[in-house]
Amino acid sequence: MVVRTRRTMLAAAAAVLLAGGAARAAEEPITVGATVPTTGPLSLTGKLYFNTLTMAAEDINKAGGIKGRPVRLAIEDAGASNSTAVSAFVKLVQETKPPFAFLTSYSTQNLAVAPEVAKAAIPVMYAGGADAVAENGNSWMFRIRPTDSLAARAMVRFMTTQLKATKPGILYIQNDFGQGGAGVAARRLEEAGIKVVASEAYGQNDKDFSAQLLRLRSAGADVVLVFCYPADGALLLRQAKALGLKMPVVASSAAFVPAAMQLLSPADLDNVWGVVDAFVDPGAGGRMKDFADRYKAKFGTDADAYGLAYYDGAMLMAEGMRQVGTEPKALRDWLAGVKGWEGIGHAYTFDGKGNGVGDVAVVKAKPGTKALEAVTSVKLD
Amino acid sequence: MADLIQLLTNGLALGSVYALAAIGFVIVYSATGVVNFAAGQFVMLGTFAGVATLVNAGWPLPVGYAGALALMALFGLLFYAVVYLPLSKSPVVTIIIGTVAIGITLQNAALLTFGSWPFRLVSPVEGMMLEVAGAVIPLHAVAVVVATALLIGLLWLLLNRTALGIAMRAVAQDARTARLMGLRVNALLAFTWVLAALLAGIAGLMLGPMWFADVNMGDPIALKAFAATIIGGFGSLPGAIAGGLFVGLAEVLGASYVSSAYKDLIAFGAMILFLLVRPQGVFGERIQDRG
Amino acid sequence: MRSVLVLAALLLAGLALSFVVSEYTLRLLNMAVIAAVAVVGLNFAFGYAGLISLGHSAFVGLGAYGLAILTTKAGWSPWLAAIPAVAGTGLAAAALGYPLLRLKGHYLALATLGLNVSFGIVAANWIELTGGTNGIAQIPGLTLAGHRIEGERTFLWFGLAVLAVLGLAALAIHASRLGRAMMAVRDDETAAAMTGIDVTGVSVAAFVLSALYAAVAGCLFAVHVHFVSPDDFNVAHAITFLSMLIVGGEGSVAGAIVGAALLTFLPEWLRVLGEGYLAFFGLMMLAILVFLPTGIVGLARRWRRPVRPAASAPGGARPGVQP
Repeated sequence: MVVRTRRTMLAAAAAVLLAGGAARAAEEPITVGATVPTTGPLSLTGKLYFNTLTMAAEDINKAGGIKGRPVRLAIEDAGASNSTAVSAFVKLVQETKPPFAFLTSYSTQNLAVAPEVAKAAIPVMYAGGADAVAENGNSWMFRIRPTDSLAARAMVRFMTTQLKATKPGILYIQNDFGQGGAGVAARRLEEAGIKVVASEAYGQNDKDFSAQLLRLRSAGADVVLVFCYPADGALLLRQAKALGLKMPVVASSAAFVPAAMQLLSPADLDNVWGVVDAFVDPGAGGRMKDFADRYKAKFGTDADAYGLAYYDGAMLMAEGMRQVGTEPKALRDWLAGVKGWEGIGHAYTFDGKGNGVGDVAVVKAKPGTKALEAVTSVKLD
Repeated sequence: MADLIQLLTNGLALGSVYALAAIGFVIVYSATGVVNFAAGQFVMLGTFAGVATLVNAGWPLPVGYAGALALMALFGLLFYAVVYLPLSKSPVVTIIIGTVAIGITLQNAALLTFGSWPFRLVSPVEGMMLEVAGAVIPLHAVAVVVATALLIGLLWLLLNRTALGIAMRAVAQDARTARLMGLRVNALLAFTWVLAALLAGIAGLMLGPMWFADVNMGDPIALKAFAATIIGGFGSLPGAIAGGLFVGLAEVLGASYVSSAYKDLIAFGAMILFLLVRPQGVFGERIQDRG
Repeated sequence: MRSVLVLAALLLAGLALSFVVSEYTLRLLNMAVIAAVAVVGLNFAFGYAGLISLGHSAFVGLGAYGLAILTTKAGWSPWLAAIPAVAGTGLAAAALGYPLLRLKGHYLALATLGLNVSFGIVAANWIELTGGTNGIAQIPGLTLAGHRIEGERTFLWFGLAVLAVLGLAALAIHASRLGRAMMAVRDDETAAAMTGIDVTGVSVAAFVLSALYAAVAGCLFAVHVHFVSPDDFNVAHAITFLSMLIVGGEGSVAGAIVGAALLTFLPEWLRVLGEGYLAFFGLMMLAILVFLPTGIVGLARRWRRPVRPAASAPGGARPGVQP
């Protein structure tokens, strides 16, 4: 409480400095809504952006808030079901009337909430990857992560141009993310005249992947594209090594979040490439190092791409509010016009469908360690 | 051939875990008539008891295992007193829903205590592999199968060759008569819950190094354990074992030879089929006994 | 007659609330009404006929997917699409019911649970038809005489009207020969058979009725949320439906409605507790089961008993007797 009071005072002081006599308005915080899974299976990833959103709000307020007005986060649990996510969003809109909100990083929840967003008529940022979310013509929704198809296309391009693989196998988790990604990858490969030798699925709760991995091997796959979530991704990378699979593996972002990495040993990452949303590399220096260092100091774990997306999103939102104020429509129009805004993870440009990110990074662990290094960055139109 | 051996071992290891979970479930059901929908959360707690002693407290292996099992025994006792006793006179459905409710509480309490990050328990035989005809088999998987077999043997001895076990079975048959015969029914029922919690604890500790400990792992295990129980026969120990192994093998072999997307239909399809054709399962009770 | 009054009172309370509460509460009321339709249906199977079903949300899902597929892929009007969606679900229940309903008690519970899991697997993998785990979005809303049934308040009125019709129908069936046959089967199958009741037929009828109501709830869900995905109809939801019935008071239409409302609102109310709210929710549910063994409606009945000892509420004054 002491901290908050001091912050409010700081913010107020800053407001006096910045906006002259507008001290009265400075008292009043701007409430920003966020629905985040804090219970259930999705809370593993939810926690990541719960952290960075809190951190971003503090940073914005330390820097004087929005023209002196502090930002206050109202966070509701989106749980693990679509209807909980919708209820959480409607509750937020109802009770705090935020000019802006963050949705979860789960596409089906995004899809379910979309009609309510249109009804509430406030701009929102979301991080579900499914392309379908952006196909609804809902002009209030802005995506702060690469689409799943972008990531899948990048995987295909990396695999064909860099790894020179010709007999790809696909392994995917049976949910919206995995099915969607695997579908796009298969189509892209087909267009490129490359035959997928095997495409295998596994359930979200599966713990044994030997059947799938062995089938990929016996089909003669010379590369395996993996669409996974964090814990299952780590488990299947371990099992692939235990089974003695030799071909390179190209895995999606989630396998490289710290929660997954801590489960792996360096040997598990041998011959594994990651196509990740953004590479959180403290070695890059500058703002990235500052962000990564402060995150680690504050939360005790390494920062990750999911959290970074929301941190960037919050900073972008703050920028918009400073420019055009908190009127939802004006803010929406401003966001729609964002071109090349330099966040920490990406340069954000929103296209006509509200997709803001056009590039992904390819990473690989340095031999014998778990320290990731950038291999290349893939930019697609 | 190497692949088949590989699949069979992995399926057996997976099946052993399901079998242990199913046994915990069956013991409770035979002795108390409770269909325990929190059975999966019991296993989850077993794994996390291991996380608490081995990872968080950093105890050495044997002490950590003992500590974790002691915690589970305590939990079994607590469950008996707080959940079972108040509900014991309720109808089947109320008890089912009651165990579901307490399962929600257990899962979320674990989330509050341990957070959402998955943990990895280290196996005593970490990293050791056996090579059999080209298949690579982690020693831990073999240890799980052997330990499960051993445990089942001990359990059989307990239930059939000791006064305690025979008294437990007497209570399971007819609690009223058992009481009239001078058996301490409440203590025996409490012991049943402790035993179930211990079995779940062992299952949890064994699967910790194979899978990762994650607070949401309970329900999926319970679903497979239910399928195992039905296939093997409700209320039958050998049935729970056969059912567990069948479900584990079906999962792995089905993914390999049928379809990885539809593999779980095999276990649940078999479960429904068994219910329709042979509801007493492979080794089951006569269904008129309960219900 | 009194249960008709209780039903009317509940529905009027919903109607009155629709004028005063916030958009968020309206949404929850809508979810409660949709759940109530499903639970009133489940009451046929469990409350009247004593069939423990943990597969109820598969039938809700069949109805919802039926409507979603026919409207988005075939371009049908949702009104028209609802007819085959509901009828198809009823047929599916009949086809499944004949073999399944020979099972009793927890056997049936686990069989229907397996059915629900299987439904989820098929819905998640039959991508061409169901959209897979991505589900089906942009399901059109309803229009009635040129007015769109859109917005939480309007939808609530519509939902309450549907619930009124189906609730009255349920009460009528309860009082009918069929309803009495169901309860006879529940209380003593052998005795029922001896009085000439076709036990299997009556059980299947109860099961089909429950599936029809579930399908209507599914259709309401689809046109309310405009989006369906396999997750919306998983086993957890099926268990919730049964919990609603038990908490409200099995065997009574009012109990089904009260239970549906309570378990829809309770977790939302508990959100104020912060991180541990679901842990607390579980404990509260356990407490209700322990302290109100006959549900909330049962409590009301018990409380009234001293005044009218012989009152046989048409809702079915059954203390938690099990088949």
